[in-house]
Amino acid sequence: MSLREAIEAGRFAVTSEVGPPKGIDVSEMMETAEMLRGRVDALNVTDNQAAVMRLSTIAACVHLKLAGFDPVLQVTGRDRNRIGIQSDLLGAASFGITNVLALTGDHVMVGDHREAKAVFDLESVQILQAIAGLNEGHDMTGNELHGVPDFFAGAVVTPDSKPLAPQLAKFEKKIAAGARYFQTQAVYDIDSFAGFMEFARARDAKVLAGIVVLRSARMARFMNANIPGIAVPEAVIRELDGSSDPETTGIEIAARFITQARDLCEGVHIMAVGAERLVPRVLDAAGLTEVVA
Amino acid sequence: MDTTKTDKITELTDGARVFAPCRAKCPVHIDVPGYLGAIGEGRFTDALEIVLERNPLPSVCGRVCLRPCEEGCRRCNLDEPVAIAQLKRAAADYGSYPTVKPGPSIGLSAGIVGGGPAGLTAAYDLALAGFDVTIYESEERLGGMMRYGIPNYRLPDYALDRDIDHILSLGITAKTGVQIGHDVTLDELRDIHDTVVVTAGLQASRALPIPGADAQNVLAALPFLAAANRGEKVDLGKRVVVVGGGNVAMDVARTARRMGADEVHVVCLEDAEEMPASEHEVDEAQREGVKLHCSWGPTAVAVEEDGVCGLDVQRCVSVFDEQKRFSPTFDPEEVNRFHADTVIFATGQGADVADLGLELTQRGAIDVDPLTLRTSAHGVYSAGDVVSGPTKIIDAIAAGHRAAACVLRDLAGRPEVLEELDQDCVVLGLVPENMKAKTERQRRIRMETLEFYEAVETFDEIEQGYTEYEAAREAQRCLGCTTGARLSREKCSSCLTCMRVCPYGAPGVKVGGFLYFDAETCHACGACASQCPAQAISLEGQSDQEMMRRVEAVLEDAGPDTTLVFSCGCTPIVPVILGDDIRDLTVTCLLRVSEATALRALRSGAAKIAFTGCVESNCRYPHTRDLVAQRIEAIRSTLAQIGLEDRLIVTGASPEEDVHLR
Amino acid sequence: MIVVRLKPIPEIREMLEGHSNVLLVGCNTCAAVSLAGGEKEVETLLEALRLAADAQGSDAEFTGGVIQRQCEPEFVEDLDLEGYDAVLSMGCGAGVAFIAENTDLPVYPALDTMFIGAARGFAAWQAECSACGSCVLGQTAGICPVTRCAKGIMNGPCGGVKDGRCELGDRDCAWVMIHERLERQGQHDNTCTPPKDNAAKTACPEWDMGGHRENVKR
Repeated sequence: MSLREAIEAGRFAVTSEVGPPKGIDVSEMMETAEMLRGRVDALNVTDNQAAVMRLSTIAACVHLKLAGFDPVLQVTGRDRNRIGIQSDLLGAASFGITNVLALTGDHVMVGDHREAKAVFDLESVQILQAIAGLNEGHDMTGNELHGVPDFFAGAVVTPDSKPLAPQLAKFEKKIAAGARYFQTQAVYDIDSFAGFMEFARARDAKVLAGIVVLRSARMARFMNANIPGIAVPEAVIRELDGSSDPETTGIEIAARFITQARDLCEGVHIMAVGAERLVPRVLDAAGLTEVVA
Repeated sequence: MDTTKTDKITELTDGARVFAPCRAKCPVHIDVPGYLGAIGEGRFTDALEIVLERNPLPSVCGRVCLRPCEEGCRRCNLDEPVAIAQLKRAAADYGSYPTVKPGPSIGLSAGIVGGGPAGLTAAYDLALAGFDVTIYESEERLGGMMRYGIPNYRLPDYALDRDIDHILSLGITAKTGVQIGHDVTLDELRDIHDTVVVTAGLQASRALPIPGADAQNVLAALPFLAAANRGEKVDLGKRVVVVGGGNVAMDVARTARRMGADEVHVVCLEDAEEMPASEHEVDEAQREGVKLHCSWGPTAVAVEEDGVCGLDVQRCVSVFDEQKRFSPTFDPEEVNRFHADTVIFATGQGADVADLGLELTQRGAIDVDPLTLRTSAHGVYSAGDVVSGPTKIIDAIAAGHRAAACVLRDLAGRPEVLEELDQDCVVLGLVPENMKAKTERQRRIRMETLEFYEAVETFDEIEQGYTEYEAAREAQRCLGCTTGARLSREKCSSCLTCMRVCPYGAPGVKVGGFLYFDAETCHACGACASQCPAQAISLEGQSDQEMMRRVEAVLEDAGPDTTLVFSCGCTPIVPVILGDDIRDLTVTCLLRVSEATALRALRSGAAKIAFTGCVESNCRYPHTRDLVAQRIEAIRSTLAQIGLEDRLIVTGASPEEDVHLR
Repeated sequence: MIVVRLKPIPEIREMLEGHSNVLLVGCNTCAAVSLAGGEKEVETLLEALRLAADAQGSDAEFTGGVIQRQCEPEFVEDLDLEGYDAVLSMGCGAGVAFIAENTDLPVYPALDTMFIGAARGFAAWQAECSACGSCVLGQTAGICPVTRCAKGIMNGPCGGVKDGRCELGDRDCAWVMIHERLERQGQHDNTCTPPKDNAAKTACPEWDMGGHRENVKR
């Protein structure tokens, strides 16, 4: 319940993420989590991220829960229909996993099983609605539940989406559908983020700013080209290009942004993309040294 | 785009008889767009055959026809009319005359009096219909005015003989040196033959009834020209005055120059604009040194002891009255004398047929019923100048057709021939504005001629003819009026592809969703037919079957190394294709080669195929080039998918890469 | 209309392997309008198959023709299949299937049926409809979220949109367009659209108008 507590208490929340393995050997995933023990309020577990098939999110969340972490179950609409999604949610809740991040999901075509059937029976808004219903004690067709879960549901928003108006409309829909918190896609422009936060605050939304720790200009360019939803600006790429120690520069960039964001939003969500060992250094550099319970 | 049209459009449907204005103005309705299309692809024999369907004298008309067709050419309000007549000559020069057989004998015989254009045409038609035909000609050789009136520098004997030989190859008997009315009577002819057609023309030269007109060294136009055409010498002295303002006067004047006269003066009643002679005849005459004196009326031939010394004239104030009738008025106060050693009258022709015993009109022409062409004698018909007065050769040919049609109706039980001649037709109008904007202006190709100073020394033919390449290029200026798209409604799937690819906006949609093609706008480029998935659109002479026939003909006894090159006729120079056995097939747009045809060619003897010559700067249609590029790419892709990509040679098609001139 | 396109020829040839006398049947409705199965395309494919057979020394024979529509019994029943050992249909999937229902001969598809779409000009079509059976175009300003949104979601755009383009990079984001058009029409309302009724289509394997007009199963 750590994430929920932090947000409800108004404490600046910190989350990060781990990715399940493509296989059954979860040792690396658990090692990564260890690096972050006591430094984050919750750990997101990605759901076949970028449409690459991996060990199931629920199973990974269970492993983390049993090891004493507070996982956030990422649920996408890509691979399961409404029956499967509701079923998995109930399964997770039966293990005490109640943080959920509702996502539409990256398209099958960008992943490693291009010919799979893309389900998308529900997308993010509808998943949030389903969760709200489960929380109320019924499934999507109104049937009563035998044992009612209490999910803490969140969603994603992209503050610098172009065009912005449709994104903001969707943001409002997610709030109406029951999103209690938001994690953003990676943001780099503090001013435009401030503008977005005005909009969010007016709607009483709790936002964790997304930070991707960049390690090199090449990594930034690769992500721009291949990862949906990421747009690293040229200025940042140049800063990395011009540095003799881009990894440290990347940490500085991330820490700089966290510091700027502290007054604007309710927390940060740090995505290290394989370099989770850097996250503690980022937190140190940003002055977020309090250990989380 | 306005997709529904309710005002009248001209469509080429099966029932409609739509003529291009050139064809409509031609007195014998030759399929002009048809033969120009064939020449555009270098198919001179096909072109010649098309002309021969309506005109048995292509070599003659290709040189001397007064070409009423060209006035109708729809390019007139774009740039210049297509050189229709000169292209007819090219067809006759380069094409092979077909072997013709007379029709199966119907047991009837016809006697034709007069071997000029009308007579030769009537003879041709009747022989094809199965008549046994004999032509009676008073001169030593057939040809009439074509041989004995028109000078050799305009119509050389070899050209005339080519046509005459073709006509006679039907087994027509020619009896020359026989004058009907003198050597044989008309009645005797009527005994020999089931029908007689009198096409004797106008053999009598009319002189003016002025004093001195009967003096020595006063000559008449026709005998003078005939003598010249026979190669006889005529002593003209140094100065010749020709009286008359028509083409005959020009012929006489220019002939006189060639026969040694230092000075030749033409004196006529009309002013320069009114002169009946064609402009270019007058131009050429003047260039050859003939002096023209307009608006003079002869009053007398001045004669002294040693013969003619001049022509006295008075000013002619006007020639035509308000009703446009010939009614000259003079000013006797203004007079002049043109000095001359010889005076030649070219002031009109008349019929010389009193000896035939037929009823004549007041003018002395043979009197016929205009609908049946029957004369006062049963079984005797008459047509041509001897009935109508002086006309053009092509009119005489039309008259010959009509006479034969009347005979066929009356004697052979075939009324449909005459009915067909009299059928109405719809004629296309001017080129619409939107099409004008999309048609490149191109000047007419000038035919090479002798220099005037060379020409005037001899009777050699002045116009040298087009080369095959020049002919093809000039023919490609033809807009293809009425040879454009024809839609088969039953096959049409209303996909609207034709509307989308047409560069000119010819197809449209009627209320109800039915497609139509506006023949006024269609340029016969063939883009629509080439893309129509239902093959519902046809263009004259552009079918897949026709193309395949040409392919098979070109690939006859092909070897293992034969390459078939489809080249666009619009481009004169093409990149060289390397190979042992290159065979060229010229088309006037590569779109006419369907993908199926190209693939079939590879099974019909071509080891390889190539497409060349599709070049932006030469293309006469807007954006068909993109479609050609797509077509070639589709062929390449299909061949690649079956592992035969190496059987297509793809060229750069840039004319700068030329190696051989077509 | 139904938009179809020609399969790769090697795939077609593989299907026809082992058959020696094949009849190609084109269709003069959607397939012709798609420039894929009309008389012209039948002829072209015939020539390609014959040429390929020749080049391989095979004596397989190919004949072809076109019928007005392959989804109408009157047109299909007229087909004379005597003497052939396979049929290659150049119609849409319905055409292939319907011919197959009317003969024991194997019937192969020469075309892939892509979508229900509209023409964009010459030789180009855009997918507009996926025949989902429960049309929501009235709510989405005429832009089909099932067809034109790659994910087929009902509340878009998703997080993958980039500069108004879909995550997949090959099309504009349908939901950005829907949003813009609804705004322009003054019709934008931000209520959450519930999940799609997928049963409407599943419950409709056939449609018989007789007496069923008011009882559309949903």
